[in-house]
Amino acid sequence: MEEKLHIDWLSVILYILIVIFGAINIYSANSGVEEVLKLDFTKEYGKQVLFIGVSAIIVFLILLTDYKFFNFSAYGIYIVVIGLLLVLLATGSFNKGAQAWFKIGSFKLQPSEFAKYATALALAKYLGTFDVKFEGKRNILISFGIILFPMLLTLLQNDTGSALVFGCFVLVLFREGLSGWWLILGVYLLAIFVTTILLPSIQIIIALLIICGLFTYFNRVRKQLVFLAVTVFLASSFYVLSLDFVFAKILKPHQQQRILVTLNQDVDEYYAKKSQGFSIFKFEKSKEKEKSESKRDYSYNVRQSKISIGAGRWVGNGFNNGTQTKAKLVPEQHTDFIFCTVGEEYGFLGSTLFIAIYLLLIGRIYYLAERQKNVFSRVFGYSTASILFFHFFVNIGMALGILPVIGIPLPFMSYGGSSLISFSMLLFTFLKLDANRINEISRLN
Amino acid sequence: MEKSKRLYVFIGILVLIGIVFICRLFYLQIIDTSNYYKAQAYGSNEITIYPARGTIVDRNGKLMVYNDAVYDLMVIPQKAKDFDKVALCKELMLDTIEFNKRLKKATKYNPREASVIYKNLPFHLYTRLQEIIYQFPAFYIETKIDRRYNINGAAHLLGYMGEVTEKQLALDKYYKPGDIKGITGLEKSYEIYLRGKKGKKVVLVDKFSKQQGSFAGGKFDSLPSAGQNVISAIDLDLQVFGEQLLANKIGSIVAIEPSTGEVLSIVNSPNYDPNLLVGQRRNKNFASLLLDPSKPLFNRALKAPYPPGSTFKTVQALIGMQEGVLTPDTKYPCHGGYHMGSITVGCHAHGSPLDLKSSIAKSCNAYYCYVYRSILDNPRYNSVQDAYVKWTQYLNSFGIGINTGIDLPEESRGIVKKPSWFEHEFGKNWRSSNVVSMSIGQGQIGLTPLQMANIAAIIANRGYYYTPHVVRSIGDQRFVPPSFKQRHYTMVNAMYFDTVIAGMANVCSPGGTASRTGIPGITICAKTGTAQNPHGKDHSIFIAFAPRDNPKIAICVIVENGGYGADYAAPIANLMIERYLSKDRSLPSQKPDMLDRMLKANLTGKSTTVKDSIMIVKPK
Ligand SMILES: [Zn+2]
Repeated sequence: MEEKLHIDWLSVILYILIVIFGAINIYSANSGVEEVLKLDFTKEYGKQVLFIGVSAIIVFLILLTDYKFFNFSAYGIYIVVIGLLLVLLATGSFNKGAQAWFKIGSFKLQPSEFAKYATALALAKYLGTFDVKFEGKRNILISFGIILFPMLLTLLQNDTGSALVFGCFVLVLFREGLSGWWLILGVYLLAIFVTTILLPSIQIIIALLIICGLFTYFNRVRKQLVFLAVTVFLASSFYVLSLDFVFAKILKPHQQQRILVTLNQDVDEYYAKKSQGFSIFKFEKSKEKEKSESKRDYSYNVRQSKISIGAGRWVGNGFNNGTQTKAKLVPEQHTDFIFCTVGEEYGFLGSTLFIAIYLLLIGRIYYLAERQKNVFSRVFGYSTASILFFHFFVNIGMALGILPVIGIPLPFMSYGGSSLISFSMLLFTFLKLDANRINEISRLN
Repeated sequence: MEKSKRLYVFIGILVLIGIVFICRLFYLQIIDTSNYYKAQAYGSNEITIYPARGTIVDRNGKLMVYNDAVYDLMVIPQKAKDFDKVALCKELMLDTIEFNKRLKKATKYNPREASVIYKNLPFHLYTRLQEIIYQFPAFYIETKIDRRYNINGAAHLLGYMGEVTEKQLALDKYYKPGDIKGITGLEKSYEIYLRGKKGKKVVLVDKFSKQQGSFAGGKFDSLPSAGQNVISAIDLDLQVFGEQLLANKIGSIVAIEPSTGEVLSIVNSPNYDPNLLVGQRRNKNFASLLLDPSKPLFNRALKAPYPPGSTFKTVQALIGMQEGVLTPDTKYPCHGGYHMGSITVGCHAHGSPLDLKSSIAKSCNAYYCYVYRSILDNPRYNSVQDAYVKWTQYLNSFGIGINTGIDLPEESRGIVKKPSWFEHEFGKNWRSSNVVSMSIGQGQIGLTPLQMANIAAIIANRGYYYTPHVVRSIGDQRFVPPSFKQRHYTMVNAMYFDTVIAGMANVCSPGGTASRTGIPGITICAKTGTAQNPHGKDHSIFIAFAPRDNPKIAICVIVENGGYGADYAAPIANLMIERYLSKDRSLPSQKPDMLDRMLKANLTGKSTTVKDSIMIVKPK
């Protein structure tokens, strides 16, 4: 290379720490009680080491690539990945039941992991185009289209978790000018959603009526505010009733139970309450009946996860010593529930340090993104940080029992080739763009 | 806000989420120690220790029901991998298909919890398995208790045990699959007292599931506490005697102590041996009892409503006096029966006219046709219908047409029709003449033997009763449910009972309807009855209490197809009373011929209508 590489070494060091820590934890979750420390490539921790190697090669290639390549080929990559998703959907419909991966030898390639990367590129490219700003109906619609299309395709593969991740692009749009009111509206809708499930809908509507009524009374001279209050009341009531309907009638029992388990509800008690006129819409008997297995498993996962983490106390049991981990009591512990191992083996202090390091990496990326001189790099940087943040937030929240059990991996930590490689590509593509920030300035001069 | 300043919003969210997660971690790992202890419990096995179920003794302390240990083979399905299935099946003498079926069922219930895979291990298998069970870490033997009965009767009263159903498992967290609980009788109604509290022992196990000793110094262990013993009101000697008397007959006997409401015996015939319904052969025996055409499982005493026949005249007389349409001196003529228009109710030959007292002793049908019609046609009421409703209220106060509330499951209310039933049958303005057969306890009226015995108790008490109860007290503290001590008064004033009792006192004396059955030295107040049976020979009925002053026993005997009340029911009742009142039960009966005749009588042989008689006593 002719020029010195101005890569952000802090991010690289944090990345390496997290990846190695991940492999250690996978080893712990994966190996038996008796086994001596050794590398076994037939086991998952062995494979993860291979994935780290592959990631390292890809990272190296990205750093060697000319930074202009990403801007240039953004749409191309997007179209290829969308194509792969469509092919999967088509073959899936042939093979009964959706498949989320391509099989290459003994490895499975999950295009949905790469769809986030491609979407980040395409969105950056579109918003980075010289005359496009995130304002005006057409531009806003296209921006949302770029996000929603792959989201829909992922959803059609029954991969609800991965599809939800696309929601994090709203944060990017917020940075690019989307009104903060939209975020507040989102939080409001979510809050109403939770209360609707927990309380009788009639009570919520009455509460809304009282609040809006008082608001109208005190602002009765200001016509506009009265109109606003009435609109908010009508829209919210309609929303509450539709939620009630969707939850009772449209969601499948296992979906209902996932939500209930997260909200700390006893599933059987809940159904009993609901069938006693708690809900306006009757829960169908047959739906309640088919429950059991899946229900038990969700609450079981969360319960075991909490027990594992709780077992860690202040400093944890130490590497490879977690009894819960060794007993393999937490299902999916090497993938979605990898944080349980951290909690049990490194305790409160270790877990806190881990969370701090992880948030430092994400914060660092946001900071780097903001200092970008061109829109393409900035949008891509915000996308990278937001994707990582969403995964981190949902994954740890789930392990701690405060968010629904949504099966998405913890980036750089969870076992899995597709996820490790795609997140590494995401991070290092941005770091490469950031490294060329200097060139950008010099060229402008 | 300038867009580049929005970076601070992002940083703010990150810090906020960090704080929330760390607080949650602090709660889970430092504050809430329960998770820590749950984690410690890994590498340990929880073993349930079953409490001894309470025993049941009779009123004199004789043991009726006790326990015996049985052994079940348990499995934890999740751990049941990589074991020598063929070897285990060979030991258990099971084929692998059946074994797999059971394992699948256990897995379906809950793969992480223990379920029974082989119930009631025979003793030789139990000893053999103890030697080899360590080779099968997912399996262990659990000791449970099973019931044993000291008697071969009283089955309906004691009830039987059975495995909990899935529905009950969901309702009551006490039970787990394979547990047994009371299904009928006392075993069911006193289940919560009898079952006790389960204990548990948490033991450390090594990786081969071998027990390595107590976990955490026994901190999480709890001892079982045995179920409470139940002291029954039943007089076992009287119960067995009653069963001997009813052998080879269909019917039942209920005896109550009037001053307390304690049930002294409940005899059903046909009966069965309660020991048939325990242990390995339980299911097979249960099936054959269920299919038996004589219906041995049917609890006649509590569930079969019979027309009370002439015993009902006592109730009619009491209501008539309270309503003011009848006095002890009221006389009605009888010339071979009651004739009014197209109605004729026949009567046997006796002097005429009779007063109230003699009408009971002689059981005059005509007399009660007059009494009942005067009750229903009482000008105090706007209509016959209103008078009828009032009459049914009287009946309810006698425990007729309502549940008596006895402490046994599955009681019938008997049959008392609503006015609307008669409207449907005879038109809107039906008259007292339409229902005249009820004057003498026939037609649209049905009482269970328990209800009839309760009437005898009410008359003995001169106007009130205690809810009949089979249990005297519970546990070492001799707990008596307060409901047992509560008096239920009838709507009839105490002063009206004397005349009826005087009449009943003459039933077993010369001139009475059961004159030949009396026991020397005991004043038995009684009433005979005969229930018409359209399907065969009439049912013989008898209610009685004795002695006249300070009554100790009230009784009802019903013998299906036994003919007149005096034929079978009266002698059996008198023998029961004699037995109960005698100071020494080993003394021979004063009426050895009568006793011999009753013991030998076989009515099931000549009755060809066993099924029919059951059919008609069934409520519609
Ligand atoms: Zn007569």
